[in-house]
Amino acid sequence: MYPLANKWFKAKKWQPHTFQKNTWQAILQNKSGLLNAPTGCGKTFAIWFGILEHFYTAHKKQDKITSLHCLWITPLRALSKEIVAAMQTVSADLNLDYKIELRTGDTTPSQKAKQLKKTPQALVTTPESVHLLLATKNYTNLFKNLEFIVVDEWHELLGSKRGVQIELAISRLKAINPNLKIWGISATIGNLDEAKNILIPSLKNIITIKTNIKKEIIIKTILPDIVEKYSWAGHIGLKLIDKVIPIIQKSNSTLLFTNTRAQSEIWYQAILEKAPELSGQFALHHGSLDQITRKWVEDNLHKGKLKAVVATSSLDLGVDFAPVNIVIQIGSPKGIARLLQRAGRSGHQPNSISTLYFLPTNTLEIIEGAAIHYAIKHNFMEQRVPYVQSFDVLIQYLVTLAVSEGFKAQQIFTEIKGTHCFKSISADEFSWCLNFITNGGQSLGAYNEFHKVVIEDGIYKVIDRAIAMRHRLSIGTIVSASMMQVKYLSGKRLGVIEEWFISKLKPGDVFWFAGKNLEIHTIRQMEVLTRKSKGKNGVIPSWMGGRMPLSSQLSEGIRMQLNDVAAKTIQYKELEALAPLFQLQGIESLVPNSKQLLIETLETKDGHHLFIYPFEGRFVHEGMAAILAYRIGLLQPITFSIAMNDYGFELLSDTKIDIEHVLDANLFSNEYIYDDAVKSMNANEMAKRRFRDIASIAGLVFNGFPGKEKKTKHLQASSQLFFKVFEDYENDNLLLKQAYQEVMDFQLEIVRLQASFDRINTQIICIKTLTKPSPFCFPILVETLNREKFTNEDINARISKMLKSIEK
Amino acid sequence: MSEAFYLEIQLNGEPFYLLPQKAIYRPLKKQLFFSDIHLGKTTHFRKKGIALPQQSKLKDIDLITSLINHYQPLQIIFLGDLFHSSYNNEWLYFKSLLQQFATLQFILVKGNHDILKDDIYAIKNLDVIDVLEEEQFIFTHYPLENPIKLNFCGHVHPSYTLRGKAKQSITLPCFYKQNLTFMLPAFGNLTGLFAVQKNKKTSIYLITQKMVIEA
Repeated sequence: MYPLANKWFKAKKWQPHTFQKNTWQAILQNKSGLLNAPTGCGKTFAIWFGILEHFYTAHKKQDKITSLHCLWITPLRALSKEIVAAMQTVSADLNLDYKIELRTGDTTPSQKAKQLKKTPQALVTTPESVHLLLATKNYTNLFKNLEFIVVDEWHELLGSKRGVQIELAISRLKAINPNLKIWGISATIGNLDEAKNILIPSLKNIITIKTNIKKEIIIKTILPDIVEKYSWAGHIGLKLIDKVIPIIQKSNSTLLFTNTRAQSEIWYQAILEKAPELSGQFALHHGSLDQITRKWVEDNLHKGKLKAVVATSSLDLGVDFAPVNIVIQIGSPKGIARLLQRAGRSGHQPNSISTLYFLPTNTLEIIEGAAIHYAIKHNFMEQRVPYVQSFDVLIQYLVTLAVSEGFKAQQIFTEIKGTHCFKSISADEFSWCLNFITNGGQSLGAYNEFHKVVIEDGIYKVIDRAIAMRHRLSIGTIVSASMMQVKYLSGKRLGVIEEWFISKLKPGDVFWFAGKNLEIHTIRQMEVLTRKSKGKNGVIPSWMGGRMPLSSQLSEGIRMQLNDVAAKTIQYKELEALAPLFQLQGIESLVPNSKQLLIETLETKDGHHLFIYPFEGRFVHEGMAAILAYRIGLLQPITFSIAMNDYGFELLSDTKIDIEHVLDANLFSNEYIYDDAVKSMNANEMAKRRFRDIASIAGLVFNGFPGKEKKTKHLQASSQLFFKVFEDYENDNLLLKQAYQEVMDFQLEIVRLQASFDRINTQIICIKTLTKPSPFCFPILVETLNREKFTNEDINARISKMLKSIEK
Repeated sequence: MSEAFYLEIQLNGEPFYLLPQKAIYRPLKKQLFFSDIHLGKTTHFRKKGIALPQQSKLKDIDLITSLINHYQPLQIIFLGDLFHSSYNNEWLYFKSLLQQFATLQFILVKGNHDILKDDIYAIKNLDVIDVLEEEQFIFTHYPLENPIKLNFCGHVHPSYTLRGKAKQSITLPCFYKQNLTFMLPAFGNLTGLFAVQKNKKTSIYLITQKMVIEA
């Protein structure tokens, strides 16, 4: 039935799983489908042998095709390498003439050119590299015999603009080859069916295959011995390091996940100080480190030569490290799916158990340990929300097609209408995009020197070679801040670091990077030359980056735990440990049950604080804070400084708010949420931030050629400037509208925001006047960075107030 | 413009008006000073396929026109970075401004961006020079390293962040004086800002849309 698979599995003395056989069968029957399987259970072979069997059944010796047969897309370069190696092993073991090659950002230009001349049967690649292929001449010829497209870790790509790139690429490839079969591989998410329909639109003969392999997972919270003495407001959790060292020492190999790169650097340094005997078998892995360093860490994890690695999401995905048997999550896991994914990085030996320790970084965070148990028990799982109407990605895609073979407007319009992302795009909106790339978004008029894309005989194309070159270099949807190379004086590369961080330092200053103390020798253009410092510990860079909100599922878990505390029906030992904290909260204020909304007020030398605790995650809090600030502002001119965490938020003002009065004015009304969010100035601020990525993806902000950053300086303008100019002169600009829509969908999470206002309207509001900070408000109170502001006061009045307060 | 208020300061005993429109008027000599306008930026970007809206390009010229009409100066002096990089059609708007005020003298003190060919600058009422020096003052684009008299200059695009109670802050463009250096804010509406710091030797004049206030 499956000659190749049977032979190979037999030689390995392995028994294929049922889901693998089902997948082979489905692929042989020309089906498309989604395979729902966790990593490390043989999902690659489930798909891969199906494709091989299909190839050798359909193509007998005489008509064997030597063109591209399968495109395998993964979100990570590291994963691509691993998969190519596995596939090549199969071809070698079975002595097959099926060739597999890698094509990612790491592939050299000469290798890439060779691949186009003598095409292998399969390319393993990333979404960006697929779009780069669509930007090369003769791509239709390259893809004309393509039979299979496989999207690995589709759940990871789905909720991002890289997912939109996949949708667009598939729409084009399907048009070139109507027989194309599409396969997705996805871990379990809350909206698996939707994920399938987005990847494989309007095809018949689709199947979902699930594994019945259940992995046992044990989750334990690391608790401080004396809860009262643990940190009330920390983000690092170092006080628990003495409990971490023994776990590392006892385990075979441990992965420590942090939420930020700064955390990972700090933990790396602290563990080495505490347990110097680990040096040599202990490493650091995050996205800013040089690729060679990361590869070294991955290889040695594989070989079992590392006792422990501190990592960020850079190791979330992909390659399985068999020796790893313990995972430690430092700080809030933020979501169930993310936690399970990380837990699943351990215990890959057959029949072994995945073990994860959760290390809370402050006292209140311990409650998340209980919320995790609750959420897993009730099978909570987050959804991945797909992007819709991403005009920035569409504009980039249209220019991509114009760079290579050119396109006809009507044909591409029909194709993209078939995708989930653009199914509701109107003819007007599409015309706007075309006009944006041909006339720079303006009506034709005098002095228009814009000519990015030109129309010749109904074909849209780019003829300016410099524009084509700049475009190819900017393909992609991952936008990073301006980065500088960190090197030793000898030239050895250590990694990259954000320009704004270095801009605050000068030669002679010491900073901590890649697990080393580095002294800055010289800063030139985009390079920082350093030498090892023996002196005191340097500053630790805080990388900018999205702060992930607590998921709605985990938030609900927390509210249910608090309810149990209030009702004295607690079930988990995390809550027992937290008893002293809840007792104090009860004395100073209140532990709210699920029918109560807690509001606290406090006066300090900083001003008048108002704390509100919806327990809905920081994004919803950001939106709610902006709406409330706007509504209070309708009653009196006011300026607020706003801070939030995943549990609540603070409105800080220099004048006192009469809380009873503003509540009477229907402060928490669940009507006009959308309108009030738009009107609050923060929607504008948030849109401005969102616009940074949009402007870059749509080709407005050009980050320069690698190594030639200076030469393109005259073409660089900040996305903020574009935002301002569009707001002033072109407010029907679709990219601007997209920024506001993204704020609504992804930043304010408008659906979730509306739901929480609805919920609050069923709750009793409990106002507590504090005499000193409560355990709940303390972590928010001390937040000094990451503050938002709202004001409707006259700017001159504010300036004179500030100048007066300085004089005092 | 009528609701906006300038701030009068004395420098070496002579009055200067710091205008909230990010320019300086010098009543004694009837001179109007602008710095870092970066005309032509819109078109420069558009020619390279970057879609900055066209309408933005006329804003600066319009504002210069109305300031000239209001203050009726004899001389208009640009402290460098008048035009952004290589030649494009936007120069024609500037040329027509000079024709409109044919009796006035325009002076460009060259900056790093002013790289047009000499024949383009050849307009009857435009003088292009590297530095403008008087007995008490010296006018340049780059700040001089060790000025021996008060140095008016551009290039830096200064801004200052004011902090107040309840963790509030505002960042505004400003005029900036430190010892013998007097920096003008960038006039162009398509320009960025550079943060300057305050100490005992500095004077900072913040610019809001309505007025100029000493911080």
